[in-house]
Amino acid sequence: MIVLETQNLTKQFGGLTAVNAVSMTINQGDIVGLIGPNGAGKTTFVNAISGLNPPTSGKVTFFGEDTTGLTPEQMCKKGLSRTFQIPSPFPKMTAIESVMTASIFGNAPGVVKDPVQHSREMLDFVEFPMAEDVLSEQLNTVQLKRLDLARALASHPKLLFMDEMASGLSEGELSDIMRILDKISRKGISILMIEHIMQLIMAVCNRLLCIQFGTKIAEGPTQEVANDPRVTKAYLGSAD
Amino acid sequence: METTNTVQSSPAWGTLLGKIGFNPAGILCVFLLMALPFIPPFNQEYLLRWLIYAAFIATLSVGFDFTSGYINIVNFGYAAVAGYGGYTSALLAVNLNISPWIGIFIGGANAAVLGLIIGMISLRLRGIFAACLSWFFGLALMGLATKLVWLTRGPLGLRTPRMFETESNIPFYYLIIVLLILTYVICKMVVNSKMGLAFKAIGQNMDAARTSGINPVFYRVFNFTLSCALAGILGGFYGHYYGILTPEVMHTTKTVEVLAVAYIGGRGSLWGGAVVAFPFIFLMEIIRSTLSHLPGLNLVIYALMLILVMIYYPGGFSHFFDVHIRQSKNKILRILTGNA
Repeated sequence: MIVLETQNLTKQFGGLTAVNAVSMTINQGDIVGLIGPNGAGKTTFVNAISGLNPPTSGKVTFFGEDTTGLTPEQMCKKGLSRTFQIPSPFPKMTAIESVMTASIFGNAPGVVKDPVQHSREMLDFVEFPMAEDVLSEQLNTVQLKRLDLARALASHPKLLFMDEMASGLSEGELSDIMRILDKISRKGISILMIEHIMQLIMAVCNRLLCIQFGTKIAEGPTQEVANDPRVTKAYLGSAD
Repeated sequence: METTNTVQSSPAWGTLLGKIGFNPAGILCVFLLMALPFIPPFNQEYLLRWLIYAAFIATLSVGFDFTSGYINIVNFGYAAVAGYGGYTSALLAVNLNISPWIGIFIGGANAAVLGLIIGMISLRLRGIFAACLSWFFGLALMGLATKLVWLTRGPLGLRTPRMFETESNIPFYYLIIVLLILTYVICKMVVNSKMGLAFKAIGQNMDAARTSGINPVFYRVFNFTLSCALAGILGGFYGHYYGILTPEVMHTTKTVEVLAVAYIGGRGSLWGGAVVAFPFIFLMEIIRSTLSHLPGLNLVIYALMLILVMIYYPGGFSHFFDVHIRQSKNKILRILTGNA
């Protein structure tokens, strides 16, 4: 079953084409890695789908429904969640309050009977290492990323976008993230992750999408894309 | 600084009181305010006038904090909105002979419409830009009140009927105290509901709030509408208390007065400004009356105090209270503050 499909998705900022006619699909259960050099347009691509920065042209289909240009709050209710590259907390809220926002407002009425309990479960699920009443502004990056993930999961997503969840993590934290990713995937949530850490990508992703200068240069099974000469060239530059 | 006011911890002391945002210390404050006009020296009429003015600023600061402390947009036109409500009520009373008691609510409704409009127009703007927009609205309103002389008599001032036909200040004092409590309770109940969480989320991180499923349009507009409605009613009170309304009431310095009180009281607490307003306004009035040969000095002191608080104690009085009194080791203090 196709979860998400984009057709010729394009995002222009004035004269700059940040994402250029990218078409891709995500199937149920996929963990897709979105890779590409810095400034390739990965985050812009994700923003265009999730509604933070609506696309200039092209089409987004989410579970067979045209969702092009919907707002983030509408996409959230349809089952698309995301985390942010720079962890994006509510600084003056406690951890549990932050998760409760998504748990209360991200679900259809009546889905979550007890938002406090539900948020607690989400914090446990992502193995949040701190007390639930700690203020977000007191957390470090690793903790914030966990919190951001718990918030994203609290709205019962069917598809989860993770923007550089693993950047800046230590070896041990990386294996924690892999375990949590596995748990998320086993809940039946499809994942699109922007990532630079090849170790993580090779371990968890079943498919890869590589973007360079806003244009898709490869899409397919992980090994195939990783060995694609165009991808290697995009990352390492050409010999000439 | 909502360090202790988490949604999940139900208030231990009296669920009903907790719901409307009162703890024993708050109740004591209310009793104190109620008794104040009979305690010397406050039983003198001129001090009573100060008290009324302080309570007026306190109430405005609650409504102001409802916007600035939650959705994080500083409504620089707040005094102008209050004045707009005041003029509405005053003009109705003068031209159509409508009782001020009805007029102030029509003024509130009219200000609510204005708040709705400001809220809608400023939707696409964030932070300082939305603040500027509300400021321009305020300036425009004040300009209108000054220039539409045929309607408002401009700087000459519009004579308005007073709400009580008496020389005494006491009925006005109790009226504004009731308005203060009502305003606080209404705002507190709203922010204690789910809406409060949405306000805070929008104010603290718009993108994360939206991706969490919060529709900023509704909550921002609702917030603006309610806070402006409250300002409108208060403006009506102001006009019908002093018996004269000049465009001066809509001036930005009035907003700054409210802002200073709200910020020194503690952003996002609602009650902080209400408590701080009384000593603050008294201090200002004393300075104004004793140093009358140095006009404007009180404004310099506002600015200084505001800057000092913003730099060294951004949490304001409510933060100080939460940390040093509410969570103090002293058992009595903890019981008094509902944290036993």
